[in-house]
Amino acid sequence: MVAEMLVNIVHIIIPILIVIASAFAVVFKDLIAAAIAVAAMSLLLSLEFYILHAPDVAIAEAGIGACLTTAILVIAIRATRREEEA
Amino acid sequence: MPARNVAAVIFFTIVAVFFVFGALMTHPFGDPGNPEMDQYIIDNTQGETGADNGVTSVVFDYRGFDTLGEATVLFTAFAGVIVLFRRLKK
Amino acid sequence: MSGMSKIVKTISSITFPFVTIYGLYVIAHGHLTPGGGFQGGAVVASGCAMILVAYGSVWTMGKIKEKHLSVLESFGAIGFIGLAFLGLIFGTMFFKNFLVGNDFLFGEIGKGLSNISTAGALPLMNFAVGLKVIAGLFGIVLVMAYTTKAKGGKIE
Repeated sequence: MVAEMLVNIVHIIIPILIVIASAFAVVFKDLIAAAIAVAAMSLLLSLEFYILHAPDVAIAEAGIGACLTTAILVIAIRATRREEEA
Repeated sequence: MPARNVAAVIFFTIVAVFFVFGALMTHPFGDPGNPEMDQYIIDNTQGETGADNGVTSVVFDYRGFDTLGEATVLFTAFAGVIVLFRRLKK
Repeated sequence: MSGMSKIVKTISSITFPFVTIYGLYVIAHGHLTPGGGFQGGAVVASGCAMILVAYGSVWTMGKIKEKHLSVLESFGAIGFIGLAFLGLIFGTMFFKNFLVGNDFLFGEIGKGLSNISTAGALPLMNFAVGLKVIAGLFGIVLVMAYTTKAKGGKIE
């Protein structure tokens, strides 16, 4: 009973954190900070997948979304400018 | 109000109506429409493929063409990156 | 991309074997536990990308060229499609699991999570797809990091 309630509370908290991280990724002018916000959003999403009993999707999301996408974004930002033009 | 804004409002209204109807016409959560195929796979996956992990037996055996398409996508992406970035190398 | 400081290099050198072993475990146990070739390959490619970020792309390109990664990826694709065609030859149809049921390699029918010698052609397909995903994803990141130059900004 208590564990079920705790799982329900986590199900409510983690999507709110995902939306907050996505909003930060849109708002930030520093593109490196925006890429880190995308990585945090992806990590929280993999945690949500794990709670929803899909551990293989969680592994794939943590590997691809949180590491390789961030690496590719940082490489792309390095080749252009760091600050976003207003 | 210019004509472009009117066209944009009409377009977004149509798209929103489509999305709302699509959301209303989905099956309820936890109640899929045709459970016969799912029940067949759940019952027979250990005896037919020998694998304990049902997801892997579906991905590599029952629905192997999906994995073949995914492998093709990855191969195409790698070949495209190699071809695209070759001219930048000194 | 030049390398980072000595602390980052040491920590990533210590962490890299554990990440690689975990990814290879996910690939090898793909028919028993959650995961498979794609997930394990993504984990191993993430570890290789960590080494790439820590040591710099010039050092990493001195260790392994993109030609070798291309050859590895082609081997993975040929292995995958070849196993599918072997199902057509020895069995009845494309993607037929032809190894299960007989007393050969991986031939047993598993009832439980402890027996790794089960599931017929599925572990071999997992190995092929894992090799393909490792070489593909790491090759994409390596080529992009090596050929683009830093332009403005403070990042190396």
